[in-house]
Amino acid sequence: MGALLTTAVGSYPKPERLQQARYKVARGEMSPEELERLEREATAFWIRAQEEIGLDILVDGEQYRGDMVTYFAENLEGFTVSGLVRSYGNRYYRKPIAVGPVGRRAPLTLRWWQFAQGLTGKPVKGMLTGPYTMADWSFNEYYPTFTDFVMAMAHVVREEAMDLVKAGARYIQIDEPAVSARPEEMELASRALGVVTKGLDCVVITHMCYGDFAAVFPHLLALPVHVLDVEMANSNYDLLELFRRHPTDKTVAMGVIDVHSHRIETVEQVKAAIRRGLEVFPPERLWIDPDCGLKTRTVEEALAKLRVMVTAVREVKEEMGLP
Amino acid sequence: MITTVVGHYPKVGGRGPNLRTAIAHYEVGRISLEEVRRVQDEVTKEVLLEQARAGIDLVTDGQIRWEDGQTYFARRIRGFTINGLVRYFDTNTYYRQPVAEGRLAWTGPITLEDYRFARRHSPRPVKPVVTGPYTLARLSLHPAYPDREPFLLHLAEILNQELLALQKENPPLIQVDEPAILKWPHDFPLFRRAMERLTRGVTVPLALYTWFRDINGLYPDLFRLPFQVFGLDFVMGKGNYQIIRDFPSDKALGLGCVDARNTKMETVEEIVEAVRRVRPLVGLDRLYLSPSCGLEYLPRDRAYEKLVRLVEGAKRAQEVLA
Repeated sequence: MGALLTTAVGSYPKPERLQQARYKVARGEMSPEELERLEREATAFWIRAQEEIGLDILVDGEQYRGDMVTYFAENLEGFTVSGLVRSYGNRYYRKPIAVGPVGRRAPLTLRWWQFAQGLTGKPVKGMLTGPYTMADWSFNEYYPTFTDFVMAMAHVVREEAMDLVKAGARYIQIDEPAVSARPEEMELASRALGVVTKGLDCVVITHMCYGDFAAVFPHLLALPVHVLDVEMANSNYDLLELFRRHPTDKTVAMGVIDVHSHRIETVEQVKAAIRRGLEVFPPERLWIDPDCGLKTRTVEEALAKLRVMVTAVREVKEEMGLP
Repeated sequence: MITTVVGHYPKVGGRGPNLRTAIAHYEVGRISLEEVRRVQDEVTKEVLLEQARAGIDLVTDGQIRWEDGQTYFARRIRGFTINGLVRYFDTNTYYRQPVAEGRLAWTGPITLEDYRFARRHSPRPVKPVVTGPYTLARLSLHPAYPDREPFLLHLAEILNQELLALQKENPPLIQVDEPAILKWPHDFPLFRRAMERLTRGVTVPLALYTWFRDINGLYPDLFRLPFQVFGLDFVMGKGNYQIIRDFPSDKALGLGCVDARNTKMETVEEIVEAVRRVRPLVGLDRLYLSPSCGLEYLPRDRAYEKLVRLVEGAKRAQEVLA
């Protein structure tokens, strides 16, 4: 692998036209076929943008997903979707409910991955929501225990991951943002990830949001994946200190872009962050990416932030004489 | 046995005006703040009637006007500003973090008008709810104070004024929410001092409600605090059944026995069983049956169904166990 590879965590903002189209389809004013055409157009836009900006490992931008959990639940057996629940402020979402054994009818993300990969010579990551997060962000009316639910989801996510690898995906990312809310359950999340990744012939990444991981850090380092992708910019790089104290031979993808802020980072700020990362990890085991998905930013903000990130990486590499 | 709720209730999904749409319209300047308030009033009335229709004896106003339990108070206490989103305990919901940028001051009642409004429109008795100083302090930042202790004790004095203001209305009960103490039980000595300041001069009955965990590390001292009702979560805090071996004979227990964080419906028999398990500790006449926490984690229809089931369970428990 190269030095200081750049990537993104998953989602990109949907263009205004696509947002409007989703409402129209919900109201029956647009056909799903027309929506899909717009989703393909938006996916192509983001693939092109990432190539132009110069990222190394691309994502499809999740233009066809409403929400990282509901999207999967809507397309799996065993789930139904609840009425609206509030997440904060005036934001509401429909929460999945497990009402029977969970399972796939057919591959879910495969077609989209193939479409995105067909547009570029650079590798596109397969992006899946992890079993722990799928279970934690759903209601459970079927499984006797939460653990049963998580482990059942693990088998479903594994099938999807295997299909992606068979189709040629070299990188698969399993997102587990829910774990940070309950670090004490890192072991369960790890066991479930083990089911997903066992014998999987690709580079496996897991993304987690910032959490109070100090007490469970050995479990974090033992997760059955090759790359740990963690938020760092919005927590002032606190986790770096833990990594310094607990050396690992895993690769770490370090978030250097705050996805919750409208403010565009400066190249100097990002370069300083990368240099801090390089004090702890060698360049071939340090990836650089935003903290999290960029979908809550505007298209212009997301593009500007990615540009700053890639420029900063390029300059640091030049200064250090890295390939 | 009294059936009650713990706090919030889903804001949308009723038959009346849609608060979500109203706020969205307000945000783009299509309607005025007064119009949003009118919708909040309508939804509050609807929620009061809905709880009564389910058969709940002691209701809240559903906290329809609260963006979250912290912000609603912090916005109305001088010295606080409001920061970015922070996850609320282990839920997938977020609150805006209050920051004490200056010395705090109570500038007038926060919940009094809400309480008066609710009482006027509710067929059932209403209890006002106040977020406790410990939880408010724990979930806030306090750059204007040297450390947490003076910040907390000052907040306790401020909220004491709130309780005294509410007391003048002679409510049947005032509820104080303190879920945070379950997460940081080693803070109990400080918590006790805060509770003493908070309740000074308050003579109406007070309830202390907690959720999301058991009271491990707090038993039995918690029950010696100056409250008449202790509301506990027996769903996420199943350990409470083992931890509580003895309950004071002059206090009442809030039995949070219907899961307010999962749509799966309890059976009547499961509710009866929960009552049966605490029966040796506390007389039925000193039991408040409720969901395990506020109901806003559920969609509206299921929240209502859970309350109906709770009332059925309470009725059956009364028949079987009295």
